[in-house]
Amino acid sequence: MKKNRSCGTALLLLCVLGIAASPVWAQSEEFPVSSHTLKNGMKVLVQPDHSIPNVALYIFYRIGSRNEHPGTTGLSHFFEHMMFNGAKKYGPGDLDKAMEANGASNNAYTSQNVTVYQDWFPRSALELIYDIEADRIRDLTFDPKKIASEREVVASERRLSVDNNNFGLLDEQLRATAFIAHTYQWPVVGWMSDIQSWTMEDLKHHFEMGYSPSNATMVVVGDVSPAEIFQLCEKYIEPIPSHAPPPPVTTIEPEQLGERRLVVHKPAELPLLMIGYHVPQTNNPDFYALNIMRSVLFQGESSRMYQRLVDKDQLALDVSYDVDSAFDPTLGVITAQPRQGVDPQACEKAIYEELENVKGALISDRELEKAKNNQLADFYREMRTINGRANTIGTYEVFMGDYQKLFDAAKSYSAVTKEDVQRVAKKYFGPNNRTVATLLPEIGEKAKQ
Amino acid sequence: MTRGTNGLRLLALFAFLGVLCPVLPAQSLRLPPHEKIVLKNGLTVLLMEKHGVPLVDIFALVKTGAAADPTGQEGLASVTAGLLRKGTKTRTAQQFAADFDFIGGTISADAGADFTNISAEFLTKDLARGLELFSDALLHPTFPQTETDKILAQSLDGVRSAKDEPQAVLRLYYNGYLYGTHPYGRPSDGDELSLKRIQRDAILKFYEANYAPGNTILGVAGEFDAAEMRKKLEETLGAWPAKAVASNPVASVPPAKGKRLLLIDKPDATQTYFAIGNMGTAANDPDRVAIRVVNTIFGGRFTSELNEALRVESGYTYGANSVFDSRKAPGPFGIFSFTKNETTTPAIDLALQVLDKLHKNGVTEEQLKSAKSYIKGQFPPTIETSGQLVRRIVINEYYGLRDDEVNELEARLDAVTPAVARQIIEKHFPVDNLVFVLIGEASAIRPAVKKYADKMDERPISDPGFWPPPSGAQK
Repeated sequence: MKKNRSCGTALLLLCVLGIAASPVWAQSEEFPVSSHTLKNGMKVLVQPDHSIPNVALYIFYRIGSRNEHPGTTGLSHFFEHMMFNGAKKYGPGDLDKAMEANGASNNAYTSQNVTVYQDWFPRSALELIYDIEADRIRDLTFDPKKIASEREVVASERRLSVDNNNFGLLDEQLRATAFIAHTYQWPVVGWMSDIQSWTMEDLKHHFEMGYSPSNATMVVVGDVSPAEIFQLCEKYIEPIPSHAPPPPVTTIEPEQLGERRLVVHKPAELPLLMIGYHVPQTNNPDFYALNIMRSVLFQGESSRMYQRLVDKDQLALDVSYDVDSAFDPTLGVITAQPRQGVDPQACEKAIYEELENVKGALISDRELEKAKNNQLADFYREMRTINGRANTIGTYEVFMGDYQKLFDAAKSYSAVTKEDVQRVAKKYFGPNNRTVATLLPEIGEKAKQ
Repeated sequence: MTRGTNGLRLLALFAFLGVLCPVLPAQSLRLPPHEKIVLKNGLTVLLMEKHGVPLVDIFALVKTGAAADPTGQEGLASVTAGLLRKGTKTRTAQQFAADFDFIGGTISADAGADFTNISAEFLTKDLARGLELFSDALLHPTFPQTETDKILAQSLDGVRSAKDEPQAVLRLYYNGYLYGTHPYGRPSDGDELSLKRIQRDAILKFYEANYAPGNTILGVAGEFDAAEMRKKLEETLGAWPAKAVASNPVASVPPAKGKRLLLIDKPDATQTYFAIGNMGTAANDPDRVAIRVVNTIFGGRFTSELNEALRVESGYTYGANSVFDSRKAPGPFGIFSFTKNETTTPAIDLALQVLDKLHKNGVTEEQLKSAKSYIKGQFPPTIETSGQLVRRIVINEYYGLRDDEVNELEARLDAVTPAVARQIIEKHFPVDNLVFVLIGEASAIRPAVKKYADKMDERPISDPGFWPPPSGAQK
């Protein structure tokens, strides 16, 4: 920590949202992200912030479960695990030990679209981190013993997050039903039989396909200068040769022509309901209006869905809406946990009525203003840590196509009208476009068989 | 899907324009300056200006928590906290939510074993409004009958929903089995029976008896002027009438003797979720920094001995760790992990071997060096935001810890030697006396897990309550 006044991010463009900027912000300069593309094609974005002596480094690879095929589902995620299991200089186990001994920690996540590696460390570990990252991007090794044990780790992860978790289980079934053509139909963690069957060749092929430096974006936020980061990149990352990116995913999900329904029977205390609607990819112009609609319907205890389902009618324990950042048209998912003894169809009916209300009449001025206030406050919450900023800058760069779209976001939200909200509700939230998944509890003796 | 159990998710995609503040030279780790004042009504106030992000964080700690719940009415402190914003003298629950949401604020209230906390966050430009709403909830709740009925029924279904996910209830069973009828054994959010017994009268009494300025520590951190804030707080929370509050001391209990095992039957589980341990330490234990270093090595990070053995080397699990849940009186210590039914005993055997090895071999100089470096390197992002900072200074104040908890951390870490670590292991890590709790498919694992304990108990997860079985719990 710095001794006196620590600095985070202050914001501009507040007036666009109808919020008076304080004098401090009014004097603010432009968002200081420095950008440099290495000769091998990797783009590097740096935002210095010296408020704590730490650094968050993210590498986004544009490869995820959407690049997979039947039989090897979950391979991207498994590969993500293998990226920690040994390269030329840092052998199995060495990477984590070296990082932690130098005050660093790491993690990674895989989605349908991307695989993202994260390092959090004191600036004293900067050079070590580059040495490690270069080693595994260039010279990853595949130890059959590590593959065998890591396969079990991933199977355990699947049991934790899907097989023994009703939300994970139903979400998996929902996507498998909502998509009939596109690769978004299978789970990121993979089907259990595929987890048990990947081969060394599959892993090597995946590395060759997805891990070209030109297929990645690096974001560094924290106690660094752009010059020193670009220098480290030139030394460690730039010499790594590039190759062709993954083949494009060409399948387009055909328009859904009618409601699809599925039921899961499982021992459970409470039922569960998920309703998925096909919505556009992240870089679609409707993104902003959809987010405002989400806020009006689902954000906070005064939101329409909460008021109706949780508070007034007391049908559900909670109700929420989620959509992933995505390169291709994806699924917006409403999740409600019906109260004990409540027929999930009663929740369904209430949800549809609230959707119809948004289509039938414009939302109020106050609701629109509330939604915009919430976007602003959420933004501050996200951008006040070096970690949150690294993730946000990278997410904009990768999914919007340019981190500078950050500059336009305030304007884009501000431009959303009540009519826009009504229009996107009508366009995407109709009965023919939905898939309804219900988990119904089995109780008593049946459950014990 | 993430690699680690604490992985981040893809975050919502929106952002605006930001700027950077001037650069200051690096210094050793210190808490930003803050001041402590006691208002005339006895309310302790901690103020910390933190500029750069236009947010204000408030954290109020009422020094009474779930440990004060009457037996049979577990969940009382938690439900009382939950109802604060569900109706005040001037607002219905719905009006309160509408007003708070309108400014993009967040508010939450919750009771842990030792204390109740009410926290809120809003933009600096909405300071007056946010503070007024926060005070309204804390000072003027009316606990309407309809809202009380609603929250009790919701909490009941919350317990049911948690039981559908073994990971979510493992610690509730573990704490209950370890502490028995001691207050730290109680489920702080209640159970299927206790929540049916709680009446509005009991909630009103609990509020009257415990929510008072002299029993509360209030922290505010963020972008504001401290002198102005002080004035505003005197105008709002200064009006809270003083009253006497009986203290609720929690007695220490001696560690469990011998070995006992509780098996919770979840017939459809494909994985066994387990906890192993005994009593841990109090939050103000003089050994706390050394314990943290040793536990980092043992089960507190990815390359810890537990995770190396159970995940990295054997592939038994996605994760294994150990936790000291430190409280006013000694809280629970536990080893936690999960593995498929077939490898239940190999995984537990291995966890016990790792514990034995810790006692036999101690820790090396190199391990200590690595752990200290890890703790130092990972610490700054835990005091990065005003929300993190306000929570830390208020909780430290409650447990009687001072700023040197942060400011002297590096020196205290450096003082831990292998000889000190050896004493810490002997004193604080159990080895012969252990409590086991397993959630899994009993018919598949029962015969094999008997070997761990002299005494074994079992109950179905679907039976109401956790442990000990509440009276009238048979379904």
